Amino acid sequence: MEADTPRIEEYLESIYKLQLEQHPVSTSRLAEHLKLSPPSVSEMVKKLANKGLINHTGKGVCLTEEGGRMAKKVVRRHRLSERLLTDILGFKWDEVHEEACRLEHAISPEMEDRIAQSLGNPKTCPHGHPIPDKDGSFIKEKVRPLSQLKANEKAIIVNVFEEDPKMLQYLASLGLIPDVCVRVEEVAPFGGPLIVCVSGSRYALGREVASKIKVK
Amino acid sequence: MALSCHSALKEIKGSTDFTFALAGNPNVGKSSIFNRLTGMGVVTANYPGKTVELNLATTNFKDQRIGIIDLPGSYALGAVSEDQWVARRAIFDCKPDVAIMILDATNLARNLYMLIQFIDLGIPIVAALNLIDEAEKRNILIDSGELSRLLGIPIVKTIATTGSGLDELIQQAVDTAKNKTGISYSLHYGDDIETNIKKLEEFLMPYNFGINPRALSIMLLENDSEFIELVGKHENGKSIIEETNKISREIEELHREKTPLRIARERHGLAGSIASQVQGDVKPIPSDKIWAYTTSPLTGIPLLIGVLAIIFSFLFYGGNWLSTFFSDQWATYVSPVIDGAVYYVFGSGIIGKIFVWGFDAGILAALAVGIPYVLTFYFMLAFLEDSGYLNSVAFLTDRLMHKFGLHGRAIIPLVAGAGCNVPAIIGTRVLTTMRERTIASTLITLIPCSARTAVILGAVSLFVGWKPAVAIYLIIFALVFLVGAGLNKIMPGKSTGLVMEMFPFRMPMMSNILKKTWYRFKDFVFVAFPIVLVGSMVLGGLYETGYLWKLASPLSPVVEGWLGLPAVAGLTLIFAVLRKELALQLLVTLAVVMYGGGAKDLLLFMTPAQLFVYALVNTIYIPCVATIAVLGRELGWKRAFGIMAFTITLAILIGGIASRIIGYYHLL
Repeated sequence: MEADTPRIEEYLESIYKLQLEQHPVSTSRLAEHLKLSPPSVSEMVKKLANKGLINHTGKGVCLTEEGGRMAKKVVRRHRLSERLLTDILGFKWDEVHEEACRLEHAISPEMEDRIAQSLGNPKTCPHGHPIPDKDGSFIKEKVRPLSQLKANEKAIIVNVFEEDPKMLQYLASLGLIPDVCVRVEEVAPFGGPLIVCVSGSRYALGREVASKIKVK
Repeated sequence: MALSCHSALKEIKGSTDFTFALAGNPNVGKSSIFNRLTGMGVVTANYPGKTVELNLATTNFKDQRIGIIDLPGSYALGAVSEDQWVARRAIFDCKPDVAIMILDATNLARNLYMLIQFIDLGIPIVAALNLIDEAEKRNILIDSGELSRLLGIPIVKTIATTGSGLDELIQQAVDTAKNKTGISYSLHYGDDIETNIKKLEEFLMPYNFGINPRALSIMLLENDSEFIELVGKHENGKSIIEETNKISREIEELHREKTPLRIARERHGLAGSIASQVQGDVKPIPSDKIWAYTTSPLTGIPLLIGVLAIIFSFLFYGGNWLSTFFSDQWATYVSPVIDGAVYYVFGSGIIGKIFVWGFDAGILAALAVGIPYVLTFYFMLAFLEDSGYLNSVAFLTDRLMHKFGLHGRAIIPLVAGAGCNVPAIIGTRVLTTMRERTIASTLITLIPCSARTAVILGAVSLFVGWKPAVAIYLIIFALVFLVGAGLNKIMPGKSTGLVMEMFPFRMPMMSNILKKTWYRFKDFVFVAFPIVLVGSMVLGGLYETGYLWKLASPLSPVVEGWLGLPAVAGLTLIFAVLRKELALQLLVTLAVVMYGGGAKDLLLFMTPAQLFVYALVNTIYIPCVATIAVLGRELGWKRAFGIMAFTITLAILIGGIASRIIGYYHLL
């Protein structure tokens, strides 16, 4: 194992997550997410591109197939660790992220298997994110806008994109925040609004609003 | 009558022993409780530039005068929507002795969200667990004692529809108001977010922004635009904002999400955990199968068309019938009495005649619109609102209305406009922004009301043929579409996306509907009467002094030259401002005066093309004096005059073009 591996893994994991909201991922956004300075990020980005793990274009970076596979492994180990921490060790779900960040780089494939087994092969982390399959065959987190859902489909909110912070706060006050499960009850014809059920309330959301809520 | 909020709040505060603010989410029975607690003397007040109103009233409770402020229903206390802003501003301005929060027992978790915000503000609170009967019907049993203990506030179970629990609610509020100095809350978010809130709170300790430091700390972290601006104006504002941003970044790093979202999540989490501690497992709301038909496209759209047809025909046929009946009765019984009295006081000279115009014709004009159309429409609107159907309508028509920069709720007033513009314009109150209301009101003034339809039928359909009559409607609909899309493009701002709660069906309470109808009607009467009265007298003055005829020659370049109509027809158009169907009646009268009895057949007097242009112009330009009054009241006089100028210009423009096209192609 290269000395650099944890750092590379950290990068890949971040790019993987950011790709869900932005594609390609700008290096400045990546730097912000990793809490690193832009120059050091762009240096590492070059290195990753040389290794063939990411493609670097003028607009930003995206994972190559190889990079994606590695990222998923890290994500799997991270989310399994979180489960381990909450289910077996009794941590609270909001305490486990930092711990898992350290654990994810130290887990061997054998240990990964054992953890998964003893937890009964969980499908999601404590926050509701899916845990990718072991063989790297990526269960794709199909992120799509809420507006594409059909009546009676269920989904989990991944993020809410809204340039307008007021709308974001308004939606948040109604409980439309990431990691919340929503069910579409009715879709109006001709591209009209949707009726969405969230924690016991029903809201009609216009197309424009619904298209800014990404779900999986 | 609309008052400014500042003076109204001040007055109610000064004249009572205690003031209570009623707060709650929309549709939780808050206005039913308000109506039960108060009598008929309700005052509504506005903040300048805001359309959401406050209702204020006083009541007596065991020898104490109590002022009650009904805040607009809202889901939170942010600054992100008008209802939230008004509710919060009123709380800060009035500083009520107690905030009475009405909770929907069938949806406790969501309702607790705003209650927790109130607790964050640190003001005295009493909560009503309303709709407790419906909750029990759905097997939701709430341990109100435990809820009271967890929140640290008194909780009273109420049923607004029967009034049960309301006495106790007010008693609790009075008790709380009497020893509010001892109030402190111990409700807390997660430890790490609390640490951060405390950190900022301590930083804020030396300052006084008129709100307790904890509440301010939370608001700043929530990125509340209003408080950030307020704090920013302070001499040390910069350092406070910097500290806020620093702490906000810490939260974001720890939780990997934006601070306002994190706080919202914490609050939802807290609300959810409290709710689950005091009630058993709540099954998801059984979706109301029958009510679901109102939103399902296959059944909903035919139903909507049916409802709109009923509203239209009620206003069109029912309103017309009532209006004619009313006018006949007036002419037989009231008119002679008023005329006699006026002539007795002012003599039968010009002055007397002018007063007859005002007090006879004017009051009749206002009442003949007011009672048959306005009252009928208000009643139907209140019913649709209270049942929750209005939201189903909005859901179905949102897409279409979006093209005009409106959203689904606008369809009801737009269709009602075909009956009478006046209630339709007041009905635009279901829209929330001034932009939406201005667009909707402008479009409504273009929609032919029953009076204008009478002119189209009586002048065009009768003498020219039904095809040209239909053509007028088609032209008008095209105009409505173009003007709507155009206004949406040029008016500053953008349409707000639709985010609206869909309520389960609730049987509307007749007493609520009647009260609502009465308040709105009263408002209309107060506003419309003086304007219609004065407008009629001005018109009467022009007529009686003969100045009106002198207006014919300056008008002739437009009327004769551009529109190609006889000058005298232009005068009738001016008169029609009083009531649109007067245009036709006067046209016939004037024709008889000028050309003798044979002119009753309008074709002897005007060509088919002229009749067509005449009806078209009459339909488009500013509806009538009652509409003008209502536009001024609802949108402000600047906008009202803007709309008037716009429709007059549009009418002349379209009329002239139509006249030329018809002439060029020999269409009629």
